Amino acid sequence: MNKIPLFKELKHDRWVKPFFKQYKKTLVTALILGFFTFFCGSALMFNSGYLISKSASLPVNILLVYVPIVLTRAFGIGRPLFKYLERLTSHNWVLKMTSKLRLKLYQTLEKDAVFFKRDYRMGDVLGLLAEDINHLQNLYLRTIFPTVIAWIIYIFVVIGVGFFSWWFALVMLLYFGGILIVFPLWSVIVNGARQKREKVLKNELYTDLTDNVLGISDWIFSQRAQEYVALHEDSEAELLAVQAKLRKFNNLRNFLFELAFGMLAILTLLWTSTRFIGTHGGDANWIAAFVLAVFPLVDAFAGLPAASQETNIYADSLNRLNNLPDKAITKKVETDLPQNPLDLKVQHVSFQYTATQKEVLKDITINISQGEKIAILGRSGSGKSTLANLLRGDLQPTKGSILLGDAVVSTLDDTVADYIGVIQQVPYLFNTTVINNVRLGNENATEKEVWDVLERVNLKKMIAALPNGLETMVDEAGLRFSGGERHRLALARILLQNTPIVILDEPTVGLDPITEQALINTFMQELKNKTIIWITHHLKGIDNVDRVIFIENGILEMEGSPTYLEQTSARYRNLKNIDNGE
Amino acid sequence: MIDKAIMRLSGIHKLMGLLAGLDVSQAIFIIGQAYNLSSAITGLWQGHGLAAQIPAIIWFIVFFLARHLINYLKDEMLDKFAATKAKELRRELLEKLFRLGPQIVQREGTGNVITMTLDGVALVENYIHLILNKMINLTIIPWIILAFVFYLDWESGLVLLLVFPIIIIFMIILGYSAKAKADRQYKSYQVLSNHFLDSLRGIDTLKFFGLSKRYAHSIYSTSERFRKATMSTLKIAILSTFALDFFTTLSIAIVAVFLGLRLIDAKILLFPALTALILAPEYFLPVRDFAGDYHATLDGKNAMTAIQKILAEPEIKANPVVISTWSEESSLVLQDVKFSYGKNEFLQPVNLTINGYQKVGIIGMSGSGKSTLVNLLSGFLQPQQGRISIDGNELKNLNQDSWRKQLLYIPQNPYVFEATLRDNLTFYTPDATNEQVRAAIKVVGLEELVSELPEGLDTQIGNGARALSGGQAQRIALARAFLDQERKIMLFDEPTAHLDIETELELKEKMLPLMQNRLVLFATHRLHWLQQMDIIVVLDEGKVVEIGKYQKLLAQKGYLYRLKNRMGGKLNEQNTLV
Repeated sequence: MNKIPLFKELKHDRWVKPFFKQYKKTLVTALILGFFTFFCGSALMFNSGYLISKSASLPVNILLVYVPIVLTRAFGIGRPLFKYLERLTSHNWVLKMTSKLRLKLYQTLEKDAVFFKRDYRMGDVLGLLAEDINHLQNLYLRTIFPTVIAWIIYIFVVIGVGFFSWWFALVMLLYFGGILIVFPLWSVIVNGARQKREKVLKNELYTDLTDNVLGISDWIFSQRAQEYVALHEDSEAELLAVQAKLRKFNNLRNFLFELAFGMLAILTLLWTSTRFIGTHGGDANWIAAFVLAVFPLVDAFAGLPAASQETNIYADSLNRLNNLPDKAITKKVETDLPQNPLDLKVQHVSFQYTATQKEVLKDITINISQGEKIAILGRSGSGKSTLANLLRGDLQPTKGSILLGDAVVSTLDDTVADYIGVIQQVPYLFNTTVINNVRLGNENATEKEVWDVLERVNLKKMIAALPNGLETMVDEAGLRFSGGERHRLALARILLQNTPIVILDEPTVGLDPITEQALINTFMQELKNKTIIWITHHLKGIDNVDRVIFIENGILEMEGSPTYLEQTSARYRNLKNIDNGE
Repeated sequence: MIDKAIMRLSGIHKLMGLLAGLDVSQAIFIIGQAYNLSSAITGLWQGHGLAAQIPAIIWFIVFFLARHLINYLKDEMLDKFAATKAKELRRELLEKLFRLGPQIVQREGTGNVITMTLDGVALVENYIHLILNKMINLTIIPWIILAFVFYLDWESGLVLLLVFPIIIIFMIILGYSAKAKADRQYKSYQVLSNHFLDSLRGIDTLKFFGLSKRYAHSIYSTSERFRKATMSTLKIAILSTFALDFFTTLSIAIVAVFLGLRLIDAKILLFPALTALILAPEYFLPVRDFAGDYHATLDGKNAMTAIQKILAEPEIKANPVVISTWSEESSLVLQDVKFSYGKNEFLQPVNLTINGYQKVGIIGMSGSGKSTLVNLLSGFLQPQQGRISIDGNELKNLNQDSWRKQLLYIPQNPYVFEATLRDNLTFYTPDATNEQVRAAIKVVGLEELVSELPEGLDTQIGNGARALSGGQAQRIALARAFLDQERKIMLFDEPTAHLDIETELELKEKMLPLMQNRLVLFATHRLHWLQQMDIIVVLDEGKVVEIGKYQKLLAQKGYLYRLKNRMGGKLNEQNTLV
């Protein structure tokens, strides 16, 4: 059994098994309905076979076939009805599970929200995880439910036949059991491995193609584009071969599966011919009933081999989910709240991500008093963004301490949001209305307050001109906020949040200089009574701050007011000139 | 029902003929199978004993085998056919994409293009298989079976025949009403289904506002709302399956009851009655199969349409014109060149003459038409009007191999392939020697990176392996330029806008020597570059507003002068750029 990846995953699972205990009633109802769907299908043919055999024996009174006639109609209506209800019930159950699974995924990710993006920057892991939840839906709907229902039918058939003949019940137990176990197992072992290989190859092809489509200009300018097409076909060849094998196997398996059911019909015919003996009726009326009932059963079992083979794909999803950290919800420790004045004290702080990596920051000491405006400059990778994360308490210093109004920042947990606001390099706008996006800063803000902050960030005119005003969706077709506008919306949120300290994390990268300059002016004007910690890679607008800090290779390299640096540092003067286009 | 594009595939008619032939024999085998099974059962019922039934049982086995063998053969054939066609389609699509270039990728979205090439074509492959198989099954098998049922018992045949159009009508009616309901719900549906991913992507923002813990409740309640919406759509959506199921099973039941009643009246014998009963489910099987795969075929059809749309994209490539190697005497003339898209004029008529190894700075803010001009120069766009000529040769556009062969295009984010550093450096010059590569590394200042890499030049770099910084990517692009001395034209598109200022300065030092003895077209909004340019083209709102030397333009205190001052950030000059 250890050869089957799904079973391996289920051993230490936190994402599938615990959920079977929830909404038990719905689950049992769905399974019972599923059973009755197939039961009615077979019973219809069973009953019809009996009905016409019995009728052919020319019963004296029509009342003798009255019961089969009524039953035939009942089963005929019952089958579609149960199927319909079963689908609704099982979908309802699965969607209820989905809500719980999503909640669980969200809560798992929330704990490390700020670093999640950094830790998982390779590819769209968030999209993958959301997709994994959908895969679990399919695991329930396409594999687990049908398998359980098939087993119930199996048990029912064996017991049912047992009423007529114990030895044929035994034959059914073994033969059907064979079909039920051998085909899925064979598929999952032989084809499962291929399917896994297919997935690996597909992923490789996916990354490879992505890489080259992103580099499409270079292929074209180097005039090697057609060369790439040939290259792609080469790397595709193995995938196509695996897929061809997969299909060949499936075709063969389907053929054998049908044969197995054909054999079953013949076995039934042979058995009934010895068990139900009669001439023109009598016991022989049952022969047609039993033989005809075999064929509809195929429907209950035909999907299982393919479904079990798919489990290898689900196993991957399950693996990814189970590998997410399982952190118990930490009880909030009562901490002292920061006291006024809200000075930030960074004392001899060093930081490294893991013990083996090199130190990102080395023995940094900065004191920022309330209302002060400082700019932190440095190359990308110099550690300036890490410093911002430390200031908000999302990271804890390896050495040293960071105090906000004499409270240790990292113990403040979510309350830190009352003191420090952040504007990111690429502000995230949620796919909802403008007003909902702005109200993130303060959920109780009135419409007037929202208009006020929008006016302050110079967006009032633009938003008032939109057909739905504040109720416009931010990503509605045709409407895209430009880089500068997104930052202004982000600022509006911060203004509503009204924190005494604001961290600006490279908020103007990639904007053209005019937009950049205008944005900086708005930032400085609207945040003038607050502490500003502005991380930047340019010197544009630097004269607005009280103090400039240069960080290089994790060390505080240079520090001072813009005027002081202008007078004392040639390097500073040079950079500033260049930024001004000299 | 079958897409026209499918009918255009080569070899399709032959295949369809073959499938039709197989289906006719399959229908006959199905009848044979039912006939012999029924005969064996009737024999037993009459009390003739098992031994007398052995021939019928053997014939049943033979027909049963033959019937499923045909399925097997059809699947094998269709698999091969679909796989071949899919491969052809994928090649066609890739060739087209790599001819059309980055414009189409940007418009359609990178992810979209890739999904289309890999998954989209796979969907089409499945579609080809399904549609051919199920359509032909549906058009042949039921009718042969029906004819035989009529022959056995015309009344049963009539029941089966009458049910068929009812099924179709109900499926269509229910299908439409489900669609209408789904359409009404679609919008809220979309918002709800994207909500979860949206929340995950913005989770850090929620954290910054201290909302992330409370937001969990919203995740759950939205998901529950989504469930309710889905369920209410589903109730209608699966009604059509229900109707199909209902009418097929019910009509089997009716056939059985009718047969029973007439058997009692001795108007029919058991054998034909039983055969008709066994054949009834077989009659409905093809239509049920067809409905079962309806969604898969729909996805495939949509994918096919999307792919065909790309394949039908017009290409601007004109007849090749010989353009001699760019030299000091060469000249490129743009005369009244204009580009618009829809109502938007991206570039108003431009006149520009560029000579020899000039360094041309192209400056303008977002929306000034700078990118459009760059795209015209790189040959990805074709002007609506005006004339382009190189050394007196007129061209429709610059999508010319002999032009691009000379061009070095360096964008804001040069792409670093997932390959070794060496392969990345020699992308344009695969034959470069080790010494040349070493020299290039030195010229662009990549020594530090090379020494940090565990396997030096042969280390895998790029997104998945080892992401490089923006500055390092620029250096790689420059090294490519250094290695390819044949290319005499450099086209820069904002190469340093996103870099920190010190990196920018270091790069500038490396870039300037490479620009010597080359024609340089340099689009930027970083003003300090302009001092190194021979001539500046200033763009504003799609118009060339000034052309001239930097100092001269500053001295005449025109647009460039005002631009410079405004960038300088004096608050009082904020809105005076007119």
